[in-house]
Amino acid sequence: MQRLRQVFLAIGVAGLFAAVLRVRGKGGTPPSDGGWRQLEGPELR
Amino acid sequence: MRIAVVGVGATGARAARQLASTDAVDTVVVADIDPATRRKVADLLGSGAEASEALVPEADVVVLATPAGTQGDLGTQALRQGSSVVSTSDDVGDVRALLDLDPEAIERGATMLVGAGFAPGLSCLLARHASAVLDAVDEVHVAKVGTGGPACAEQHHRALGEDGLDWRDGAWVARTGGSGRELCWFPEPVGGRDCYRAAVPDPLLLVDAFGPMSRITARLAANRRDRLTARLPMLRRPHPEGGPGAIRVEVRGARAGSRDVVVYGAMDRPAVAAGAVAAVTARAVGDGSIGRTGAFGLAALDDPVPLLTDLADRGIRAAAFEGHGHL
Repeated sequence: MQRLRQVFLAIGVAGLFAAVLRVRGKGGTPPSDGGWRQLEGPELR
Repeated sequence: MRIAVVGVGATGARAARQLASTDAVDTVVVADIDPATRRKVADLLGSGAEASEALVPEADVVVLATPAGTQGDLGTQALRQGSSVVSTSDDVGDVRALLDLDPEAIERGATMLVGAGFAPGLSCLLARHASAVLDAVDEVHVAKVGTGGPACAEQHHRALGEDGLDWRDGAWVARTGGSGRELCWFPEPVGGRDCYRAAVPDPLLLVDAFGPMSRITARLAANRRDRLTARLPMLRRPHPEGGPGAIRVEVRGARAGSRDVVVYGAMDRPAVAAGAVAAVTARAVGDGSIGRTGAFGLAALDDPVPLLTDLADRGIRAAAFEGHGHL
């Protein structure tokens, strides 16, 4: 019984840790090709 | 020309300053519920500005820059006082209420420009400009990142907790706010951000302007915290002004017989850009260059180039995305 409680406690702590990481973690963004060019000249006529 | 600015927070103060430095504008009337704020802004603007005790002053054009949810009633009051109106609201309720005033605005010979901020506003101008590049348009997708002042941040928070409106195949589809994650690329230095559905009025204005299309959507950038707390009250006071923001407008259709896509964007502090859009729009309404009466958004203009050129002269520059086979 004691062992079962320890297992559930460990799972609970791990789950809480994962939830905090998921909320506060910073995701990366994949690389992209191409870029931005300002509209000017003929495009604004 | 006498132009009133109602609400001189982050966006309204910028709009008032832009109008005060516009030659065609004789007087800028500053109105706000806080007497100290309106006096301070009027004093800073100099001799061409005056503070008004009336919340909706009499003027040729009234620019509404008050918090979301208030501009429906204020716009109605301004219209019935005989003014044309420029509204900066990004609230769905406000936009619906103002668009519903179209018959009354036409009858009164007034112009009511709805959603004249950053997004909606500059996003609508870019959508119209991009549509001219294509032979036929069937999809428009708008995304926005960043907020202006505290009222804008609160509206952004609310919008993520309410249903977003997508236009799909001839009908409105309500989708849960905070759903539909899509990675959108904005002009540098903003870059790639995850964007989600939210209660934003861009699709209402775009459908009104372009007519039925196969798909029109709008999204807001958000992080996990924003999405998890969207249905709760704001847990922290918003900053007096947000940092750099951006918009992205993707227009899909046909060109020379094949499918094509045009992506335009802009990067600036949202309150600065919104103030500039409101100011150039108010000037254009006041001098008659808009050329039509009724209630509509900037995407309904036949020619967005004069406004885009005026914005570029004021430092709000749009950009085109040039990808390599994919976006």
